[in-house]
Amino acid sequence: MIFRILLYVGLALLLPGLAALGFSLWEGPAAWSLDARTFWGVPISLFVFWIGIAHAGTLISAILLALGVNLDRRTSLLAELTTLCALVVAAAFPLMHLGVVENFYMVIPFADARGSFANVRSPLVWDFCCIAVYAVLSLVYFAIHLLADRFQSLEDLRRPMAWLLFPLVLWVHTIVSLDFAATFVPNWQGAFFPLYFITGAIFSGLAMVNVLLVAEGCRVRLLEKLMLACSFVMLLFWGWIFALRGEWNFSVFAFAALLPQLWWVSSVRESAFGRLAISLSVLIGLWLERYYLVLPTNPETFGWVDAGLIAFSLGLFTTLLVFLRVKLRKPIEGGELVFGELDEKQAPVVEHHTEPLTSREFIVLRFPLLLGVLVALVYTLWAVASPAFETTAVGVPNVFPLFYPIVALVATIVLCARPAWNIGRGSRYLKIAFIVIATLFAFLAGMFYAGGSSTPSKFLTGVEIPAEGDSAVVPDSLHARAIWNARCSSCHGVDGKFNEKFIREFYPVPQKLTAERLDSLGEDSLVHVIMGGRANMNPYVDRITEAEARALVRYMRSLAPAHIPAPETNETAPETNETAPETNEAAPETNIPAASSDPQQTESLQQSSEVTQ
Amino acid sequence: MDRREFLKLFSVTVAGFALFGCRDGLFGTPGKRAHLKLADFEDEVRLALSKMKPGMELVRVPMPAALKTPGASSENRFGMAIDLDACDACGKCVLACIQENNIPLSGPQQAARGQFMHWIELFGGAPAMCFHCGDAPCEKVCPTGAANHTPDGVSAMMYKRCTGSRFCGANCPVGARKFNFDDPVASGRSLKFNANVPVREKGVMEKCSLCLQRLQDSRQGFKAFHPLESWRGRGVTTACAAACPKNAIIFGNWLDEGSPLVKAAKDRVLYAPKAIASLDPSIVYMRGHR
Repeated sequence: MIFRILLYVGLALLLPGLAALGFSLWEGPAAWSLDARTFWGVPISLFVFWIGIAHAGTLISAILLALGVNLDRRTSLLAELTTLCALVVAAAFPLMHLGVVENFYMVIPFADARGSFANVRSPLVWDFCCIAVYAVLSLVYFAIHLLADRFQSLEDLRRPMAWLLFPLVLWVHTIVSLDFAATFVPNWQGAFFPLYFITGAIFSGLAMVNVLLVAEGCRVRLLEKLMLACSFVMLLFWGWIFALRGEWNFSVFAFAALLPQLWWVSSVRESAFGRLAISLSVLIGLWLERYYLVLPTNPETFGWVDAGLIAFSLGLFTTLLVFLRVKLRKPIEGGELVFGELDEKQAPVVEHHTEPLTSREFIVLRFPLLLGVLVALVYTLWAVASPAFETTAVGVPNVFPLFYPIVALVATIVLCARPAWNIGRGSRYLKIAFIVIATLFAFLAGMFYAGGSSTPSKFLTGVEIPAEGDSAVVPDSLHARAIWNARCSSCHGVDGKFNEKFIREFYPVPQKLTAERLDSLGEDSLVHVIMGGRANMNPYVDRITEAEARALVRYMRSLAPAHIPAPETNETAPETNETAPETNEAAPETNIPAASSDPQQTESLQQSSEVTQ
Repeated sequence: MDRREFLKLFSVTVAGFALFGCRDGLFGTPGKRAHLKLADFEDEVRLALSKMKPGMELVRVPMPAALKTPGASSENRFGMAIDLDACDACGKCVLACIQENNIPLSGPQQAARGQFMHWIELFGGAPAMCFHCGDAPCEKVCPTGAANHTPDGVSAMMYKRCTGSRFCGANCPVGARKFNFDDPVASGRSLKFNANVPVREKGVMEKCSLCLQRLQDSRQGFKAFHPLESWRGRGVTTACAAACPKNAIIFGNWLDEGSPLVKAAKDRVLYAPKAIASLDPSIVYMRGHR
């Protein structure tokens, strides 16, 4: 019954929220913020809020498990489910925040076909990777927990996995805080930001789990105590900020620090309504805190789209959570109906003292961890060696934030591979699911590797350009030489003999442009290669016109025999070089119709200035 | 059909409609303005001058030297010096920049708040653009490398690589970066004065490029006929420098002794805004003689 009400509430929030989301996706960032100085708005504050909630689920489940604090299965499953749903919501906001949403894959720090590399110095890249890894690991952890009562091999994995996730939670939220702390904005600076963010995240997550526990009709005293502790730690941070910068936000203080003190009052904490009210007030307070943090200058631009986005986040979270909770009713509730406190009363398992480095978790984890560290080391070396540009200095500290997520990801894959294989062998569905996921992953990876088109977008080609009347000019050999020297010579060499530096540093070496080869390929296919690119050669379609490409091909012919002689034509090479310019002069006439009828010509001329080094 | 199925179908339908309907038209698209003229841009420059921002605090800086980043050229570092003794804040540089770089008009709401797309803005009578910091904070936080440094010392933008995360804008201490919140072509607020510069699309950051297109043209022309010699960018000037009636903006190569920039700045006291003075700016102010 409670879930049905929650579902209705969720849908009621989600549908108008979807309208706001659709509008802001269509309209772009102008939909929620029209301020040229405040670049980050409500989506980023919502992101920080939901990613915080996403962390507490793992905290409650994994960290408590790793530390040997007992928590019943239903509460921890609920917390993990909260993590997953909150991650979905949190992931939506940085994406919609982007100005060009379809370019998001450029943030992935992995080489693409063009050899361009993300700028690993940016906290946004760290952020993206950490959260992606965290999402995958949380999903794995949840699945293991869900299936653990059926397969003993999975139950054995839970504690090692918890040990992997424990540092990851802290690591990921530290990175989120670095998004702010690594900038020049005075309000966002402070070495205490990681701790501040982690505490805030845990606090909001505990509040969210408490709200859901009210919906489930039970209470877990441990989480209430933790919330109270968190409120004091947060108060400490706010006091510190006040001492540093004199900023004090009373509404945040009242909602998130003052009202939670009602946990002390037994009549409040014993009524479901009281617990709900406290938890909700903490959520409101912490959201306000993030909002004022992200938009320090002008919170007065709050509009209906902002409200709609908040509704969207709440609605999506509620709907997703209720849907999954109802779908997974059987595995979550299991045979036992006990919830919360009953479990706490169990006699704590007395752990025998073990020598360091001989505990079971360590023995299970050491090989996957070693492999993970090795992979992460190799990646770090590779990333340091491949900066986004020649002029950027990438150091080990720039790549270090990706270190542990890679370790954790590799270790998890290694750790789970064998049990997953054993379980999956028996089930056809799992096999199909695995194949589908692998195919999808390969497809997406291939898309990202290929990268987007380099042709000018509709926005650029749609611009009317004043006619200048010189579009019919056909490039002569002098012009072709100019283009060759400016654009081609860096790889192919001024004389067509390749650049020595290029040969040393890259492989494969570009094709030798002998006269035979040029003849066998033909002008059209060479023009096609110049315009469209091939293997390591970039496409030049938006930088030079087709007429220029044809002129370049003819210029190549004039270079070819002189410097890369085929064995037979060795002696005659100097003569052909002398005659080459004449053929060049003659050739353009045959191509005038093709060139002048090319509508793209003027279009692409203007692109040349867009290219940077 | 039971209730659950109905709910499912209903929500999917409404969601689909919501997403589809918002694509276009539901909330109205901005109408195209019929014919923009140069006068519209002149008016906007006048408006910008009337809403001039307060001056920045300036501190003394040494003459810019070669960049310390790896791969940087030891021969070229382009920059400008702005002579505050000569400048009378006429705003002609702003207009020249608009015409050279096809900068769109800003929307009425933003204009009312004094926020324009202009790459050059006047702060207390001093023209300020991107200072092309050698140690640029914007480039450090750009996730994709769209904001990058050329070996010649220009802090460049690669528009095709920009995802519009606006991290660079949030991290620029002087707010030199302008974001295309909407599509300047579709909203009819841009005019293509210069065919050699693309109009930036929606969701892309832009800022002063130090008239990169002029530098590129010069470099290409030079390399074509002297492929083995080093190009020093002689004879190039930016649109704002060319337009200044008082010759208060001087463009040149900091590492070229013969450059007009070095000649002009040699015996002057150089200043930079305090917020970026430690970031090795390529564009500096001159005031008073040494």
